[in-house]
Amino acid sequence: MSRWFTVAWVAFLFSIPIWMTDLYFLHILITTGIFTIAAISLNLLLGYAGQLSLGHVAFFGIGAYTSALVSLGFDLEISDSYTLVFDPQPVWLAFVSGIFVSGLFGWFIGKIAFKVRGAYFVIVTISFAEVVRLISLNWIDLTEGPMALNNIPPFTLGVPGLWEQTFYQKIPNYYLVLVITIIAYIIVRRLVLSRAGRAMIALRENEALASSVGIDVTRYLILATIVASAIAGAAGGLYTHYIRIVDPDIFLFIYTVTMVIMVVTGGKGSLAGPVVGGIIFGILPELLREVASPEVQWIIYGVFMIAIVFFLPKGIVPALTAWWADRFKSDGHGGKAVRDSR
Amino acid sequence: MNTTATDSAPILSIENMAVHFGGLVAVSGLNFVVHEKKIVSLIGPNGAGKTTAFNVITGFLKPTEGTVRHRGTSLNGLRPNEIAERGVVRTFQKTSVFDGSTVYDNVLTGLHLRGKSRSWEILLNLSRVRAEERRLRETATEILDLVGLLGRSRELASDLPYGEQRLLEVAVALSAEPSLLLLDEPVSGMNPSETENFMEFVSRIRDRGTTILLVEHDMRMVMGVSDRVIVLNQGTVIAEGTPTEIQHNPEVIRAYLGRGSADA
Amino acid sequence: MAEFLQHCLNALILGGTYALLGIGLTLIFGIMKVVNFTHGELYTFGAYMVFFFVMVLGVNFFVGIAAAMILGIVLGALIEFVLLRPLRGASIDTTMLVMIGAWIALQNLEQFTWSGIAKSIDHPFPVEPLVLGAVSVSWIRIFVFLFALTLIAGTYFLINRTKLGKAMRATFQDRDTAALMGVNINRICTATFALGSSLAAAAGALLGPVFIVMPTMGDGAALKAFAIVILGGLGSIIGATVGGFILALVEELGAGYISSGYRDAMGFGLIIIILVYKPTGLFALKERIG
Repeated sequence: MSRWFTVAWVAFLFSIPIWMTDLYFLHILITTGIFTIAAISLNLLLGYAGQLSLGHVAFFGIGAYTSALVSLGFDLEISDSYTLVFDPQPVWLAFVSGIFVSGLFGWFIGKIAFKVRGAYFVIVTISFAEVVRLISLNWIDLTEGPMALNNIPPFTLGVPGLWEQTFYQKIPNYYLVLVITIIAYIIVRRLVLSRAGRAMIALRENEALASSVGIDVTRYLILATIVASAIAGAAGGLYTHYIRIVDPDIFLFIYTVTMVIMVVTGGKGSLAGPVVGGIIFGILPELLREVASPEVQWIIYGVFMIAIVFFLPKGIVPALTAWWADRFKSDGHGGKAVRDSR
Repeated sequence: MNTTATDSAPILSIENMAVHFGGLVAVSGLNFVVHEKKIVSLIGPNGAGKTTAFNVITGFLKPTEGTVRHRGTSLNGLRPNEIAERGVVRTFQKTSVFDGSTVYDNVLTGLHLRGKSRSWEILLNLSRVRAEERRLRETATEILDLVGLLGRSRELASDLPYGEQRLLEVAVALSAEPSLLLLDEPVSGMNPSETENFMEFVSRIRDRGTTILLVEHDMRMVMGVSDRVIVLNQGTVIAEGTPTEIQHNPEVIRAYLGRGSADA
Repeated sequence: MAEFLQHCLNALILGGTYALLGIGLTLIFGIMKVVNFTHGELYTFGAYMVFFFVMVLGVNFFVGIAAAMILGIVLGALIEFVLLRPLRGASIDTTMLVMIGAWIALQNLEQFTWSGIAKSIDHPFPVEPLVLGAVSVSWIRIFVFLFALTLIAGTYFLINRTKLGKAMRATFQDRDTAALMGVNINRICTATFALGSSLAAAAGALLGPVFIVMPTMGDGAALKAFAIVILGGLGSIIGATVGGFILALVEELGAGYISSGYRDAMGFGLIIIILVYKPTGLFALKERIG
């Protein structure tokens, strides 16, 4: 998509709070944005590196919990005589810790999970997320379990002493999420269009061939995982300081499925895909809320995903791009359009 | 990468290689050397162990016994990408390209080892990253021009006709700047004129300084282009020499070339 | 000591149904190379069918279980025919995504049909448990165990002694060669999926009356099935059986002696450890199933 389109689109997004007076819809956009960031991160691993990682929500949740705990402070009884006391830290520091810890877990689980491939890999990633969920549910001393961590402080930005702004309102949170979404998009874009990105795509398309031209497969898989998990952790941090409550349900498999549906229908392996998928599946539940119960909605989403796999296997964005290219380019090759935008 | 070595020193030596799959012996007591800047062909009937040897040399298979040396250094235990870094690159028997990518991107990917941008440098979009990217793209264009696929740059690799896909495969392997190139049945399925062109292409590669080890069944190609021929049977070398010597070796004639010369 | 024995006994009983789940999935996984996310939903389906027949229609308990299994075959065949057959030859990612979509749709269909309220199923066995010295076991569980063993034996017989089983084994070993030898791959795939699904439905039908019936009961079952497949090695019925019992034992002992909250995590922890040290599973048989 051309530069102009992107600039216009971004300008439009920045302008929304100015004319959109419905604060509830702004809230929907914020949560959509948060999930879109997670989808963008999953796309790097699922779409570009081609790894069926189905535990992605774990990194989102780890980021959320880490940020919450660091900003709230916590006491942890290590032994009968010693209690670790962690003082509350400024929110921006908590947010960065969340990203760091998620990335660390990404590295760790990557090292383990990539010893296997294919379906076994899928199972390891699902298991990992489930284990993390069960730990968050049962380690009540640390996470409060199902009682949830609440009263999490919102974002505060500024220079202490000079000027400080605490983001209680929706509008500053919207801009914060928008900015982070754009940063996440740029990070993935830079990586994907580079030599590292080519290595990832290569190992997805033909692992043996990639290896034979010198690409260290494991290294790039782990790189993709670390970046993906760190970005997911950022999304989790945004979630935690916006919603300001976090409980173990954040680790439910259904959220991974939501991200997967966003990426797959939008177009895995394309940059705009997760954004389009994120917007569709962030806003659609709201539009359908009046007419269909959650169960019926999910039945529709399930069927929709099946339909996409059958009829538009590359996803919506690549299908649109190909159609566009077919209509306006005449290469002399007739039907076959070239996939230019990665 | 392509450091000059004396023409008579071996670039590759296989020492006592043995490969056992359970009870099956694929290769045993295999010994041979390949010298710098030569084209050497490995021939023999199916099951003689040729592709197995390739797989071991390039790190895709662990040998039960034996050592593989590249310019004196052992390659044992190294992973395929590490062996490629040392300058040994292969093609595959079954056509192997990055099929979802364009011809251009295929070669660009093959140039992986010629770049060295780190991830953090990429994320910060440093100017040296952009300069390296420009350089790599220029090189990709050069390589495509060299093999004659420049006109097809923007096509998907999977859309290419068969002969050109095989050419692309070699182009991708060459991008990795090997000192030793292993070609696994590169002309299988090609018609005579395609084979002619390929033979010429292979000679050009050798003249530019790359050593080539070739597994092939097409005797015209083998006899036409090789400096040396090594004959394998049942996992071990039964004869080696110049093409003419091999053609007149009674053992080889008896076992293989009887069939081969009918094909030529 | 008595406590330990009780845990072992519980594990034995539970292990049988876990084994059914595992065998069903390992067949589908092994022969069709499909990551079957609907497996858990067949488990749920089995339980709800027994509920429907016994509690709503008032049919005899044993007939209800048989009906659930038969309907499991039908549903499995339907899923395979509609969703997987058209995708024959597609990559494992593609079929996996379709299975995820089907799983979501099915689970929410169950929720929509039966509502989320937990249901219980009456059974004809005495409520008082059988006491054997220091341990006790309820009659329904004994029935479940015996029935599961029968099904396991039956499946083993089917795979190893019948023509159908032979065709399935051939397809597992080398699909292309099997096709060349005259095996109708399409029919074998449908049969495999139907068989595997009916085993999952059987597990659900058996455990539904023991525990309770909820729309989400399949999720835990599915994950356990995956754990068992990994434990036992792809395509191995014996492996899946042993894996089922091992998983049940690890859960029981872990829940009993370490923490009951982490019960389900035991299985996953086990998978991760196994995959790190022996990625092909305990009984990996690449060459054959059975």
